[in-house]
Amino acid sequence: MKRILLAVFGILALAFATLTPAFAQSKGIVYYIVPTLLDEFQTGSVSALELFLKQTGYEMKTLNADNKTDAQQSQMNDVIALKPAAIILAAVDFNALKPSIEAARAAGIPVVEFDRQITSTLSDFTSVAGTVEIGYVAADQAEKLLKAKNGSVKGKVLQVLGDPGDPYTLDIQKGFEEKMKAFPDVKIISLPAMQWEASNAGTIVADQMLANPDIDLIFSHAAHLSVAAVASLEAAGKKPGDVMLMSSNGAPVGLDLIRKGWLNVEVEQPLYAQAAAVAMFMDKIAKKEEIKPGEYDVLGLKSTVTKEAWGPNIKIPGAAISKENVDNPAFWGNQKPPTDTVKPVE
Amino acid sequence: MNPRTRKALEFVLDNLVWFMLLFVLVVFSIFVPNYFQLGIFANIIEASSVLGVMSIGLALVIIAGHMDLSVESVAALSAMAVGILFCSSGIGMGVQLHPEWLMVPVSLLLALAVGGLIGAFNGYLVVRVKMSAFIITLASYIWVRGLVLVVSGGRSAQDLAPAIRWFGIQRLVGLPLTAWIAVGCFVVFSLIMAKTPFGRHLVMIGGNETATFRAGIRVNRNLIIAFVLAGAIAGLAGWLLAIRTSGATANLGVGLLFNAFAAVVIGGVSLKGGVGTLPGVYAGVLLLSAINTAINLMGLPANFTQVIHGLLVLAAVLLDAFKQTIRQRLA
Repeated sequence: MKRILLAVFGILALAFATLTPAFAQSKGIVYYIVPTLLDEFQTGSVSALELFLKQTGYEMKTLNADNKTDAQQSQMNDVIALKPAAIILAAVDFNALKPSIEAARAAGIPVVEFDRQITSTLSDFTSVAGTVEIGYVAADQAEKLLKAKNGSVKGKVLQVLGDPGDPYTLDIQKGFEEKMKAFPDVKIISLPAMQWEASNAGTIVADQMLANPDIDLIFSHAAHLSVAAVASLEAAGKKPGDVMLMSSNGAPVGLDLIRKGWLNVEVEQPLYAQAAAVAMFMDKIAKKEEIKPGEYDVLGLKSTVTKEAWGPNIKIPGAAISKENVDNPAFWGNQKPPTDTVKPVE
Repeated sequence: MNPRTRKALEFVLDNLVWFMLLFVLVVFSIFVPNYFQLGIFANIIEASSVLGVMSIGLALVIIAGHMDLSVESVAALSAMAVGILFCSSGIGMGVQLHPEWLMVPVSLLLALAVGGLIGAFNGYLVVRVKMSAFIITLASYIWVRGLVLVVSGGRSAQDLAPAIRWFGIQRLVGLPLTAWIAVGCFVVFSLIMAKTPFGRHLVMIGGNETATFRAGIRVNRNLIIAFVLAGAIAGLAGWLLAIRTSGATANLGVGLLFNAFAAVVIGGVSLKGGVGTLPGVYAGVLLLSAINTAINLMGLPANFTQVIHGLLVLAAVLLDAFKQTIRQRLA
């Protein structure tokens, strides 16, 4: 019994030791509700938002929903009770969070949508690259790659999706397939890697390379899935360039694969710019001032703020990364955060 | 019933899961385009190697009448430890050892040590402190996955050292060495379970712990060894997982636990303990892998996989009940 009690107290002491008291800064605390931390983009978004919000005078706290919609709803309810300066939300499920967003705004707390656009209700600000748009950019790149290889836009594409329950991957698929409809000679085989797990993607690629040895292009919806795809191609005796590869999100591992010659294109989500845009407008968001539509320079990227039915929306174009521009420090995958300080929009 | 018929019937009952596997392979070969080829069968064995190894450790503990829910997270932590040390991209430190082949035993020992330590921790709390294995290993499932996130910061380690990755690329009789490692593990542990006192004692403990204790068998020691083995074997599964994906991500192996449970149950291991053999578990693993491959080739939505897995587990339980009824009639 003594030993059990000692163990319990030990564990509790350890847990409390990791908690540090929070001291609010002059402009207040902003909560960022992140969908998961098992993903490099999301982990990167925490660091970037924290960095830029600090530059504009806000302290940021992060809550991780572990990809669970119900957990995210509970977190929203808890945070509403804490009355922060604002809530930044990257939703697990784009529409399931609608009541929570409405509850926060009814309590006078501004809500910012980050990376995942919610169009079913009003928010105070939305900063996205656009998941459907990522699909469009990927389709443009696929068109170029297939044309260069086959003389015209034809061939077989294996599309490795993320988890089939994740709207993020479904939106990319929607954008990609919508644009590829213009090319009836392109056959797209789409298979999901359950729970975004890399070895599932590896298995899909290994099986499909046997069933369809004439696959021209593999498009994975995340860079870490491309790593497993490459591992399977390598195990099948393939060399860089034998099969064209493309993925989206712009993670460091994707950029490494470009440098090694395996990956042709990585469609980047402009993580730094998306986060900087939130910090730039945070004063206006917190004070509930009007955000004027127009062109804004966000870390050197021309970005457009528009007034939409769901509130002010800034869309920052995602770039296609290839061998030619892979070393550009502006890409978040190169892990070189901008040195310029973000200034609040007057 | 004459003795020959009885013997044949008992053989079928004892190896029912292998007949199920054979039936499924024949059906898929006939109806699924591109399924019937040696490459696909090699893929089935290769894809099942990580799950297979993980299922061995899980089966040992379940046969001994307990539970280990931590194997998935332990595999992920071992993979991440190997990845951080021996990968050269992402968060990999790119540790180099000379001669290069030295990285193989060092990385393997590291993975086994990580798994064995967590297994020992679980075993100590379950056996010595007399806490529920379900709760203790559930806690480990959560905190170990958290530890993966802590040590990786949510980032990936990629580009595993070629000396280690060699096991995923090099083939022997058309199969990668990782698959041969899994097959070897099944052979070794099947022999241990069938031919050694330790294996027989585990089955006895799972059947009736009190009676086994009264028979003078060191129950606690054997149970702690079973937990340590389950952890170390999960560590080996993690090592294979890192080889297969050429690195490690924070969500590596997510979902493997329930597939391992499904394989163990389909393979004829009773969750009550004391019943089951490892060859049966391997057949269960191959069966799941064969179905996944068919779903990949048919291009069905992946959700079908889960439905089919669930129905298979249900079918296995029903078959097990059916087997018991027939055995009673034979007795």
